[in-house]
Amino acid sequence: MSPNKKDNMQYIGIDLGTSRSVVSASNGNRKWVESYVGWPKDFVAKKMLGKRVLFGSEALEHRLALNLSRPLQNGVLKEGTERDEAAVQELIGHLIELADVEPGKDICVAVGVPAEALKVNKIAIRNAISEYAKNLMVVSEPFSVAYGLGTLDNTMILDIGAGTVDFCIMHGTVPMEDDQRSILMAGDYVDEQLLKLLTEKHPEADFSLNMVRRFKEKHGFVGSSKRRVKVEAPVDGIFTEFDITEEMRRACESPMPAIVETVIDLIAGFDPEFQESVRKNIIIAGGGSQLSGLDTFLTEATKQFEPCKFTCIDDPLHAGADGALELAADMPEEFLEKL
Amino acid sequence: MSRHSEIKKTVLRGVYEDNAGIPRSTHGKRQSKFAADSQEPVHSSRYPGKAVLVAVLGLVALLGFNLRLVTVDVAGPAAMQVVEEQPLPSYRVQLPVPVSPVGALIPGNDQLVSPEPIQSLDDATITSGRYDTMLTRLGMPMADLFNLQVQTIVIDPGHGGIDPGATGHLGLKEKDVVLDIAKRLRDKLAVTGKYRVLLTREGDRKVFLKERVAFAKENRADLFISTHVNSLPPGAGSLNYVETYYFGPHTDQRSLELAEKENRDSDYAMGDFREVIARIGDTLKTEESKQLANSIHKHLYNNMKRRNRGLIDAGAKTGPFMVLLGVEVPSVLIEVSCISNKAEEARLSTPEYRDRIADYLKTGIVDYLEERAHRRTIEGGIIQNVAKQER
Ligand SMILES: Nc1ncnc2c1ncn2[C@@H]1O[C@H](COP(=O)(O)OP(=O)(O)OP(=O)(O)O)[C@@H](O)[C@H]1O
Ligand SMILES: [Mg+2]
Ligand SMILES: [Zn+2]
Repeated sequence: MSPNKKDNMQYIGIDLGTSRSVVSASNGNRKWVESYVGWPKDFVAKKMLGKRVLFGSEALEHRLALNLSRPLQNGVLKEGTERDEAAVQELIGHLIELADVEPGKDICVAVGVPAEALKVNKIAIRNAISEYAKNLMVVSEPFSVAYGLGTLDNTMILDIGAGTVDFCIMHGTVPMEDDQRSILMAGDYVDEQLLKLLTEKHPEADFSLNMVRRFKEKHGFVGSSKRRVKVEAPVDGIFTEFDITEEMRRACESPMPAIVETVIDLIAGFDPEFQESVRKNIIIAGGGSQLSGLDTFLTEATKQFEPCKFTCIDDPLHAGADGALELAADMPEEFLEKL
Repeated sequence: MSRHSEIKKTVLRGVYEDNAGIPRSTHGKRQSKFAADSQEPVHSSRYPGKAVLVAVLGLVALLGFNLRLVTVDVAGPAAMQVVEEQPLPSYRVQLPVPVSPVGALIPGNDQLVSPEPIQSLDDATITSGRYDTMLTRLGMPMADLFNLQVQTIVIDPGHGGIDPGATGHLGLKEKDVVLDIAKRLRDKLAVTGKYRVLLTREGDRKVFLKERVAFAKENRADLFISTHVNSLPPGAGSLNYVETYYFGPHTDQRSLELAEKENRDSDYAMGDFREVIARIGDTLKTEESKQLANSIHKHLYNNMKRRNRGLIDAGAKTGPFMVLLGVEVPSVLIEVSCISNKAEEARLSTPEYRDRIADYLKTGIVDYLEERAHRRTIEGGIIQNVAKQER
């Protein structure tokens, strides 16, 4: 790429997630926000909040005064929901603002979105983003992770998010529909299971979904655990300690059979020679990859069928946005001009 | 180049192709309708309201974007080059003329189509008379451009009857493979309920190229998809190609030979030939054929690669195929596989494999049609905005 062109271009990578959206920019800025967008419900609320639109935890905090949207709730924009489209647009605008690029420069953005949304809402998402950037690409989230890791061939990426687990096999080309699969049993599902198990076992205690999610993020594990998981929850207003080791294990393991089945099924669709190499290269990304013991557990679980090797990535929070950033920056100039 | 950077290049191109070609809305930043102080929905230009005005102006936009003037140049391989993109609104394409089998005697530099300069978007004063002329010249019904009608897709299984096409080592015949794939493709497209799908032959019978073209015309086809299976000379060993063509000059010797083979029984009379060349001036057709070819090829190749690591991507490109020249609407010829490769022949003899190929073709076609519908809507929207400002 000619130096002048490059000098005047700022690259931005965005991971547009169900629960969390992350931005990573060529100026080194990396930020994230919970994927909530809220508009004040009426004039009074607007006056009170002093803002046209709120994001992330701030939006959650004032939810009663807002028209709130979590635009990619189940990994897709619901058909015809203009509010969600507008929310995606606001969210992207906000993330670009957070990237804090130098004014006056051209912006090139690559956005990774859940695989399902790319399939269903590609055009709507493109429209929402096109307002901000001169050059623009939308790709599937697991693909942007793969790109960042440089694993473009002989690999499967498994992105365990909040709304969906996305599976994607990389075989040296841009992934096609049959290379990708999504299941709805992901982080949110684990939270629901955990809440259900705990409420059944301790009906006297007041567990909430947000509370158990925090438990999971702090203590979540699969397989055997060396230490007990002890947490506090209110009983009649008094914080009381509970040992939730067993419930935690069961909840965290609840999506595992579906994950194993999907991995095996997806690989089976490939050239036998290729299957071998993919099995040895299964990479786990996404917030859910931080469950303790996950790679060992899945490697063990597949032993009885087709032995596979799973590895968790180092920085699941930023991997998607970083990969998208790299993609944007690598895009040859002759292509960029037409995007 | 290392293997990794080779793959990286392929992947970047793939991302580019996935993202290119979808025009963006150029209107200013939309105000959110959910903000407290704008309760009324801002009328989004994505939903064209006054259909007729939008359609009329949208068409002009299309012309402005796509129109090319055509001159017919001398026949023969020397003429087979395309003068690439010059500034809008109009530019010239040296029309490629196939060398075989009938293209020997084309009058040189005969300007067959020379439209008046096309008005750009900026002067939005278009009379309906003018618009009519444009429509006629374009030779494409407006309803098609704006997807107001059910689309008719004509699928053309190559060869048939006494013409078996290519034959594999085990005796599998191209004519049978492509007929089966075509029928599967038809069924898959038909179940969507959105398209009327017809085949140029239903059985094992000989159909001349001319008849195939006539069939598309009589049935008012909106898209024409010709399916073939490649066969490489014995020296090519176990090579396996997938390639997709739209009409234009050949880009390599192999394409030329292939086209000669597929053109074998074209018996256009000289007069017909001149007439069809005039029609290639319909630039929308070439541009749309290219997009259609790209979409189909991407789905076909990337998916087939999954089960066939050695598969070679011979690309979506131009080739002088008579059947594509004759048809007036976006048309492609796909060499879906390579029957001279033994492993591929074995796969092609299974219904599952043929069904999968039909699936990939279907996805490529539907993707193209949906993206095209979207492009039309946006272009319509832009015009609508311009019209609003004019008022
Ligand atoms: N340390 C942790 N251990 C286990 N799970 C975690 C941890 N940290 C975050 N999570 C879970 O990861 C999920 C969020 O992951 P991520 O940010 O990758 O999702 P997302 O990209 O927003 O969702 P999606 O990919 O479905 O669109 C949530 O369910 C969250 O509870
Ligand atoms: Mg994610
Ligand atoms: Zn053929």
